[in-house]
Amino acid sequence: MPGDKTSKSSYRLVVRLNQPHHQSSKMSFKPQEDPLTTHVLNTADGVPGARMALSLHRLDSKRVIWNLVTMGTTDEDGCCTGLIASEAFTPGMYKMRFETGQYWESLGHTSFYPYVEIVFTIKDPSQRFHLPLLLSRFSYSTYRGS
Amino acid sequence: MTNRRLQQIKGHLLVEDKCAEMAAPNSPLSTHVLNTGIGVPGARMPLSLHRQDPSTSLWNLLTTGITNDDGRCPGLISRELFTPAVYKLRFETGKYWESLGETSFYPYVEIVFTITDHSQKFHIPLLCSRFSYSTYRGS
Repeated sequence: MPGDKTSKSSYRLVVRLNQPHHQSSKMSFKPQEDPLTTHVLNTADGVPGARMALSLHRLDSKRVIWNLVTMGTTDEDGCCTGLIASEAFTPGMYKMRFETGQYWESLGHTSFYPYVEIVFTIKDPSQRFHLPLLLSRFSYSTYRGS
Repeated sequence: MTNRRLQQIKGHLLVEDKCAEMAAPNSPLSTHVLNTGIGVPGARMPLSLHRQDPSTSLWNLLTTGITNDDGRCPGLISRELFTPAVYKLRFETGKYWESLGETSFYPYVEIVFTITDHSQKFHIPLLCSRFSYSTYRGS
């Protein structure tokens, strides 16, 4: 499973493109070469946002629909590696969706936001992009890091 | 001339009141856009409010508007229409930054939130720069 630290050495990743609603498997690559990373932080409790489901999508600009690229879950550090391989990381519009409602529910809480979607534009995929999500039950923030 | 008619004429004349406060005075939902990159209100940013249909999961457009010079948009929704549901505020941040001659990492920002107790007031600000944004539930 993506984000599972114990299985990094046997990590296989295959990215299925242009196939909406398919759950992607994984393509082999080294996590430290991730062009796109994320990190979820629970700012209310001061802990990583662990075991939060998330997904990465790319906009098919011709059909104006979102194609699912990857589904994953954050690890105990709130990180999720292997979102997309460098070869697949082409210029375009992407969306990271975080299942924040499910996350807070798993902790026995309600939340103002059923989910958080962050839509961003990639023009130069040779750069590295770090998209953290800092959240509480009633607030969230994000920024472009590297 | 009724007060309603006066407000309608005011809405035609004053572009900055495009959020039509006359249509929804004392909206239980408000927003405020702040440009944290420059330290000014996020003025003249187009935005829209949508409500999710629970049976189809489709989004229904409720209101479109544009923030005023103070970064606010009064009159988003009337209390009668503000029923418990999942709502979405969409901010055209990309167009906003483009109007300032800048690019931005985010083509738009959508904030999806759940209203269960519609008797409360909800203030949903957006603090944004070209490469970051944040929001919180205020009242």
